[in-house]
Amino acid sequence: MFAQIFINRLKCLLRNRETVFWTVAFPLVLSVFFNLAFSNLDKSETFNPVNVAVVNDENYQNNIFFKAALNEVSKGDDRLFNLMEVTEEEAERLLSSNSIDGYITVGSSLKLIVGKSGINQNIIKSFIDNYLHTFSTVNNILVKNPAGSRALFENLSQRVSYTREVSPSSAAPNNVLNYFYTLIAMACFYGCFWGMREITDIQADLSSLARINTAPVHKMKAFIYSLCASLLIHLVEMAILLSFLRFVLNVDFGSRTGYVILTVILGSIAGLSFGAFVSALVKKSEGFKIGIMIGATMIGSFLAGMMYQNMKYIVAKKVPLLSYLNPVNLLTDAFYCLYYYDTLKRYAINMGLLTIFIIVFWTGTYLVIRRRKYASI
Amino acid sequence: MQVFNLYLKILKKHIQQLVIYIIIYLVVAIIMSSSITQEIKAETDIFSRNKREIAFFSAENTPLIDGLKHELEKVANFIDLPDETEALQDALFFRNVSYIVRIPEGFTERFMKGEDVRIEKTVVPLSFSSVYIDMSIDNYLNTARLYLNHYGDISQETLVEFLKSDLSAEAAVELKTTSRRPVSNIYANYFFNYMPYTLLAILILGMSSLLLIFFDVDLRRRNNCAPISTTSFNLQFMLANLLYTLITWLILVLCCILFNFRDSLNINTIYFIINSFVFAVCAFSIGFLTGNLIRSPNAVPAVANVVTFGMCCISGVFVPVELLGDSVIKMASFTPVYWYVKANNHIAGLTRFDFSSVSPVLSSILIQLGFALACFSVALVAGKKRMFQ
Repeated sequence: MFAQIFINRLKCLLRNRETVFWTVAFPLVLSVFFNLAFSNLDKSETFNPVNVAVVNDENYQNNIFFKAALNEVSKGDDRLFNLMEVTEEEAERLLSSNSIDGYITVGSSLKLIVGKSGINQNIIKSFIDNYLHTFSTVNNILVKNPAGSRALFENLSQRVSYTREVSPSSAAPNNVLNYFYTLIAMACFYGCFWGMREITDIQADLSSLARINTAPVHKMKAFIYSLCASLLIHLVEMAILLSFLRFVLNVDFGSRTGYVILTVILGSIAGLSFGAFVSALVKKSEGFKIGIMIGATMIGSFLAGMMYQNMKYIVAKKVPLLSYLNPVNLLTDAFYCLYYYDTLKRYAINMGLLTIFIIVFWTGTYLVIRRRKYASI
Repeated sequence: MQVFNLYLKILKKHIQQLVIYIIIYLVVAIIMSSSITQEIKAETDIFSRNKREIAFFSAENTPLIDGLKHELEKVANFIDLPDETEALQDALFFRNVSYIVRIPEGFTERFMKGEDVRIEKTVVPLSFSSVYIDMSIDNYLNTARLYLNHYGDISQETLVEFLKSDLSAEAAVELKTTSRRPVSNIYANYFFNYMPYTLLAILILGMSSLLLIFFDVDLRRRNNCAPISTTSFNLQFMLANLLYTLITWLILVLCCILFNFRDSLNINTIYFIINSFVFAVCAFSIGFLTGNLIRSPNAVPAVANVVTFGMCCISGVFVPVELLGDSVIKMASFTPVYWYVKANNHIAGLTRFDFSSVSPVLSSILIQLGFALACFSVALVAGKKRMFQ
């Protein structure tokens, strides 16, 4: 009986192109878009020079050191500034039309005038601060050792970086990975579409396919057999997605392949159970159910950082409970733990919580669908 | 107005689903805009530098290192952590600290001798905060090196005194805006930037579903029998579509203003609204086009999600344009979303509204209109073709 139900169910499900699309094609397409959008994120960022103006008056012309310093960083291909030397009125006009990020006036002291706060404004300010520091240092040194001015000025431009990055674990921390991990978690949870199909096709009040109930098989058995077919399909789909990510897009999963596969299997079961649970519980049209499932998965993925990574840390800091109650986040974290941690402690916690979710979903589903009787005449 | 009324009736049947989508997208957009606004404000405020959480471990205790710690206090809060691998990994993982400084044994001695020594750092990648800490450390040590190389004999204590006074200088900054109160457009900028995600999804979903129903072969044939001219039929149909677009757009714009009322009363907002309206027109024609191309109702959500997510991903809605690769931007410039986002980002920085300041916005708007026209024409051709099938 198992073989018969299983095989027929496989055929039946695979003909449902819509569900196949959501569970495999959609995540694949998303991963390609992610790859396009994030491909530049991890590389050294290309720096765009900051547009800055300086008020070209007597003070500026007299302050030869500042003038030299400003001109020094405003030439060449890897320059810091696109410098304009203009009158004060012109500078004001440029600032208010958003053509420059700020302008500098040289009076008794240096002053920066900006229209708003932003990264570029901070860069200009850092430059001026730096100039002031160096100016003070040079003054102090020349007072003591006036003869060494030449060597000192040569030395000024040779700045050394005094820090060396050390990775916190065997794997380098990587921000882009989290996006792909949330994507896999989302794909696992899109298994909910299969879960929904299973419930719809076995409950007599949801579809006519449920005539299978009249067959001489225990409902529970029939349900579990066809669920196996769903799970198989979803696992194959996840395998396709994982191989695509690993071998085509070169996403790093760390070295513990076995655990990664285990995570995907548990994730798929969680997705299926979630769909079954929603489908059994919500007594509305199929479109509405799909809306709820996509919605819940989307919000879960969003809170796990799929669209905006810092969201994950905002949740972890402000509502830590929510990050444990969000199964998509648990799954994402499980992948990241495998990549990042040397120990499996945190991974085990995540997987344990996910298992609790699965148990809750299945128990709920079981309680709703068992022993249903309909009098539909 | 039977056709118009029929449209609304069918729409009403779908309303539950559409409302779910609107709510989801709104929740995402609102949470995202407000959290990004907070983050950006904190990260980039030029007047009060936001302090970062860092951990500081030193294998030695010398005046030079003490001085460095004092210097870092200007930009960082020190968090006490046990010096264990797992605790440190956890702290970085949950962003309790974003930077760990570790001074190796013998650093001061070797530094004073002029040897090449480094401080070990462990950072959360891609965060502005690490740049500030790096700068602070490098500034301190580079200045110290200048003294060591050129000052002649200098004791550690004197050196630290000098460094302290040198590095205390700061540039004066003045904020100049035309309005009395400094206005922040960051929230509106991000909210309007996310709008294509919502607007496109809702319009494609709704309009495609309705077009499919209206252009179902049997239904169309029956409707053609009705004593109503094709022109009137089409006009009513388009009118209903436009109404649908307008209402969706209005809900989104009102939400933005409602959640950001304090910063909404300025000319920038008007430009944001105009730009988003033009985009809504564009989204309308994209919705109309997809509706004309799709043949099965099951494909509607699929197409809606792929088109929406794809366009938004590469056009700077989720990832800021500055962080996208050049080839991706070239691709993105073939989508209206890119021009919409570009116009928004420009509007956010405007404080003067004469023609030369506004013209980049206008040209982006014109390009969007061009896209709208192009999609609409293709849709008409596709629709015509379908008529004769």
